[in-house]
Amino acid sequence: MSLALQNTRLPSPWMGADSDWNPLAWFVEMTSPGQADPQEDRTRANAALLRRMAGGDRDALAELYDQFSRPLYATARHILNDSAEAQDVVHDVFLALWENAATFDSGRGAAFSWAVTLTRNRAIDRLRTRANRARLLGNSVPGDLGYDEDGSLLGGDSRADLGDRAVAVRSALAALPAEQQRTLELAFFSGLTQKEIAEKLSEPIGTVKARIRRGLLKLRDALADRL
Amino acid sequence: MIDENHEELAALYAFDLLEGGERERFESALASDPDLRRLVAQLRTTAAGLAHSAPEATPPPELRARVLASAERSMPATPAAPAGTLLRFPALVPWLAAAGLGITALWAGRGYLDAVSENRTLREQQQAQQASLEQVRSQLEESRRKLADSGREVAESGRKIAELESKLKTEGDLAHFKIATLASMLGNSPEALAVAVWDPAREEGILTVSKLPALAKDKDYQLWVVDTQYPAPVSGGVFVVDPVTGEARVKFHGDKPIRSIAKFAVSLERKGGVPLREGPIVLLSP
Repeated sequence: MSLALQNTRLPSPWMGADSDWNPLAWFVEMTSPGQADPQEDRTRANAALLRRMAGGDRDALAELYDQFSRPLYATARHILNDSAEAQDVVHDVFLALWENAATFDSGRGAAFSWAVTLTRNRAIDRLRTRANRARLLGNSVPGDLGYDEDGSLLGGDSRADLGDRAVAVRSALAALPAEQQRTLELAFFSGLTQKEIAEKLSEPIGTVKARIRRGLLKLRDALADRL
Repeated sequence: MIDENHEELAALYAFDLLEGGERERFESALASDPDLRRLVAQLRTTAAGLAHSAPEATPPPELRARVLASAERSMPATPAAPAGTLLRFPALVPWLAAAGLGITALWAGRGYLDAVSENRTLREQQQAQQASLEQVRSQLEESRRKLADSGREVAESGRKIAELESKLKTEGDLAHFKIATLASMLGNSPEALAVAVWDPAREEGILTVSKLPALAKDKDYQLWVVDTQYPAPVSGGVFVVDPVTGEARVKFHGDKPIRSIAKFAVSLERKGGVPLREGPIVLLSP
């Protein structure tokens, strides 16, 4: 049984009005094939690529690059708002994956999560070392991060060009309450601390923490078999 | 069952938003709670999924080539031993240290041996070169010695050559001399003998006589040179002999230029000699 099914919360009339039930997640789960588990297949395939990389197979690295490079680059570019720096980050991340492929433990998470974590951490490290950090973080968030002030998803991208997972993530994110959506986006892309996010949103830190918890759990439930 | 507080901490942890003591306490709880670890893994995967929400951006094609080129220059790390089947990392530290020391020692030892071997080789090469140098020096000394000997030999040879040249010259000169033995024509002094040597280059000669009878005071012996170019013998001068031994050695030359000598003759003439022979011949060459 997949983790997605274990953690998916069914719509229930017995749930309270402020429950975290996510109709999108319920819909996705209900419409997904029951027997096949694409997420597990993908996870196993990626783990296999990393094992080949650990053996020095550069073709496996090329395959992994083809799968991961676009979201990783988009993430780094979104965080840094700089194409050249984003390329450097992606380069360093794939080199780290290549050199440390043998240390990958599929029991601790998916390869893509590992790659995203590396990308995000590196990009945020760069962001924090910028001399104009205050200006970037203080004046540019969230507009410079690509979000409208009302917290809606970014326009300009053609949905047809996005991959299935991107569509699913954006759809799941769009289904969240606006304040949860904005808080999660800041938590992931801005590099701000809890306190800074709270200051940015002019909300108590406890509220920020609660929004992050609720929003992330909803996304988990919505995307359980899509990531 | 995971309470709401731990769910919140897990969500913040998934975004790396826990700091300091809060983070340490959560990680302690995480270490002892498999359900919490599972939740964290799910939330990390979910958080990572937000990467797909970033505005679409395609990396430039050259980035792929750059990554693969960098991988060409770098090899993946050696796979770690699976946990639980072999010693865990902390337990491996002493072994790794020992292995490191061993490898270092081997490396250093190999380096030392290489250095010793190289030193030995260099020393052998130096010795061989020294031997070659000594050999060359010896050859040079031998050559110098031979050269000195040769010089001396050359000098000796030169001297010998000079002697030979001198001898040859003398012999050559003698070859050109006219030498004649004059026999006695006297019945009372048959043992009388004379030798005449004529040097054509100098146009003079030496006459040596022995056992000729002493002469009266109004008489002289007169030498005659028969040259075919003249109708009469050419006078070579007069001489007297020692009255006891009958010997005489006199230098003579002709009163006319002499070119070709046919005979020598000695006659007994009046005192002071005569232009043309008048007295009897006492000595005559063949």
